[in-house]
Amino acid sequence: MSGYVVRRLFQSVIVLIGVSILVFAIMHLVPGDPIRQALGTRGTEETYLAMRERAGLDDPLVIQYFNWIGSALTGDLGVSFRSGQPVMNLITERVPATVSLAAAAIVVALLIAIPLGTLSALKPRSPMDWFATVSSQAGLSIPDFWMGIMLILLFAGTLGWLPSGGYVGLTDDPVEWARHLIMPAVTAGVASGSIMTRFVRSSVLEALGQDYVRTARAKGMRARDVLTWHVLRNALVPLVTVGGVQLAYLLSGVVIVEIVFAWPGLGQMALIAVESRDYPLLQGAVLLFAVIFLVVNLIVDLAYAKLDPRISYEQGAAR
Amino acid sequence: MRAMARFRRDGIWRLTATAFAAVLVLAACGGDDEGVPVDGDDAENGADEGGGQGGTLIAAISGEPDQFDPHNTSAYASFQVLENVYDTLVVPDAEGEFQPSLATDWTTSEDGLTWTFNLRDDVVFHDGKEFTADDVLYSFNRIIDNEMANAYRFASVEEITAEDPQTVVITLSEPTPALLDNIGGFKGTAIIPEGAADDLDLATEANGTGPFELGDPAASGVTLTAYEDYFDGAPSIDEVEFRYIGEATTALTSLETGEIHWTDNIPPQQVESLQGEDGVEVGVSPSVDYWYLALNQEVEPWDQVEARQAVAYGVDRQQVVDVAQFGAATVNQTAIPEDNFWYHDYAPFDHDPDQAADLLSSAGVEEGQELGLMVVQDTEGVQAAQAIEANLGDIGIDVTIEQEPDGTWLDRQAEGDFDAFMWSWLGNLDPFGFYHAQHHSEGGFNAQGYDNPEVDDLLGQAATETDQDARKGLYDQAAEMIVDDVSYLYLYNPDVVQAWADGLGGYEVRPDRAINFENVTLPE
Repeated sequence: MSGYVVRRLFQSVIVLIGVSILVFAIMHLVPGDPIRQALGTRGTEETYLAMRERAGLDDPLVIQYFNWIGSALTGDLGVSFRSGQPVMNLITERVPATVSLAAAAIVVALLIAIPLGTLSALKPRSPMDWFATVSSQAGLSIPDFWMGIMLILLFAGTLGWLPSGGYVGLTDDPVEWARHLIMPAVTAGVASGSIMTRFVRSSVLEALGQDYVRTARAKGMRARDVLTWHVLRNALVPLVTVGGVQLAYLLSGVVIVEIVFAWPGLGQMALIAVESRDYPLLQGAVLLFAVIFLVVNLIVDLAYAKLDPRISYEQGAAR
Repeated sequence: MRAMARFRRDGIWRLTATAFAAVLVLAACGGDDEGVPVDGDDAENGADEGGGQGGTLIAAISGEPDQFDPHNTSAYASFQVLENVYDTLVVPDAEGEFQPSLATDWTTSEDGLTWTFNLRDDVVFHDGKEFTADDVLYSFNRIIDNEMANAYRFASVEEITAEDPQTVVITLSEPTPALLDNIGGFKGTAIIPEGAADDLDLATEANGTGPFELGDPAASGVTLTAYEDYFDGAPSIDEVEFRYIGEATTALTSLETGEIHWTDNIPPQQVESLQGEDGVEVGVSPSVDYWYLALNQEVEPWDQVEARQAVAYGVDRQQVVDVAQFGAATVNQTAIPEDNFWYHDYAPFDHDPDQAADLLSSAGVEEGQELGLMVVQDTEGVQAAQAIEANLGDIGIDVTIEQEPDGTWLDRQAEGDFDAFMWSWLGNLDPFGFYHAQHHSEGGFNAQGYDNPEVDDLLGQAATETDQDARKGLYDQAAEMIVDDVSYLYLYNPDVVQAWADGLGGYEVRPDRAINFENVTLPE
């Protein structure tokens, strides 16, 4: 197992180098000059040139890349053009809000997907199945900004149960943290939950048709135990894959949900970085997103082995 | 069958029900503190607390400040906060006239080249350091020496000296009547204490002289606390909490539910419905901002004045205002709005498609002439451009709207790679700011390539004319030529629209969009 992990980590480093070159190149190729953007229509040519030089934009691209990647290796992601603050600070300050939202959204998604997917698989082509299919379609097709606004108008405006938006830190006030989290988490979780519902349905269906399920039933095992121990456990493997991808996606920020609910997450930050051509900030953010995806994927792969003993990463290991 | 029934009963519903119950409990928690008047400090949940003196004002702004170094930032959101933290030597009042602030009074030499500012002697920075002339020298020289964003405002400044701790002398290379605007028009030329750039991380920390002290900025907002020793008297409230809320529905719902007291996040189409809303007050003021369209005068056929005038006759400004601003703007054929001292009533271009067509044919422009109109994406300029597209279609000009992200837009503007563009100028106060760099043939913002020696001459004289009435006369003449030549095709001055909770006192909407909260009282 450890040999596998080392191999995977090594591969990850190569992927990260590739990502860093790609991000760097794309950012610099995209039209739009960060300094002009910062200055707006005001400022003189002298100011413009002085600011360009200060930002190190006059060096050849290759030098700029190696300067950046060199300091990135030591944990220094540079200083944001736009805000003049270290990129590392800007990112870490938004991590708590992002992790809160991603974790809560994944919980919402699982609360939707597992019951709905299982129920519809247990009784295919029934009204329940039909309901699950239609609602997961709807969950996917309702735009999140519309859903977010509707939730705000209903639960904050009309009913007054929840705050309209904003973020309160978990350590500052746990109750307020949770109250502020509910609507964004539901909005972000519904789409993921809808995607996952379909996976749960098909993998539960598949597991139900397996010989071991028939055997378990034949030997008189209680239906609930069959479902818990034989069906759901085997159906979990594909769910972990999809759930992992969804989690990584949520962790890299859900821009629209963050904007609608004034949620200070990484997605909003990345959007501002793109708009203002804040190279250091965006490069740092994308690098972080790549790390998130790689780590989540690694954890997912390792989880397979835990969930399904037939899967093993030891070399030469037999089933 | 039986399996499912039991499963449903025992497993999943229980899980779901538990989750649901948890949600309801959370929703209920804290829901009952609404409307309970709590004094001051612990206003985490909403803006309902407060009443009378003191308390925390919660203000939702639509933008997110990039940083809090007043000399470095050019973001309006940053200045909304900094307006309450820093001071300048002079400050514009709501009418745009300059009043004393850190300077008590000032004199100008006969030749207009030497300005002497007497400073207040009772001002103390937030950290307790006394304010002196050295701080003024340090602040201005920081902007000039480091070529910072506002360095252009000091273009005519030759030397800044301290005659004594309470007197600053500014020597100019040429008379500059706009000097007060240059050094006090907004907080981009704020006074910071000597050495502040080394002692503090000005991007996130502040040491000003203003009515409030800057707290630790977070990604979701920043809180200011009252500065008790403010020279103009301690503020009427204890704190101002700025929240960044980008989505208007969220901001307006927060205002209606009492979570916030004040917001500037009001889409023009909402103004009317909001004015009928209970518990919400809407403040509207014409602004000094203006929207315009510029045709590239180095590209055929727009190098011909007739072709440009045809466009000016072809555009129905009122329609543009109705479409883009839902009426929350005032049409104007010059830059400066009515009610301003520098306003000049001049409007030669009534909407007249026939006149436009005549001018086009005399300029030799054929039916179906193409015109690429560059606008910044996701701004009200896009709707304005659509109205203009329809207007110009009627006179045979085929407009293609080119929506660009602002970075690309600025690049293309700087490179002259456009037929026409639309944009706005914000927050100008002195006519120099309105007209000079935009229309002087050597002006830094003359991207449209306007070159009229007579206008250059008038603008040059006006820039150094110290007699206010004579100066206005010069700008009026220049403005007429600029309008006649369609260097800019001026469209309208948008309104400043802000909304606040009913009963909020001591706040006024200003044409320059500066927001001051030091005299605000919270609703009972």
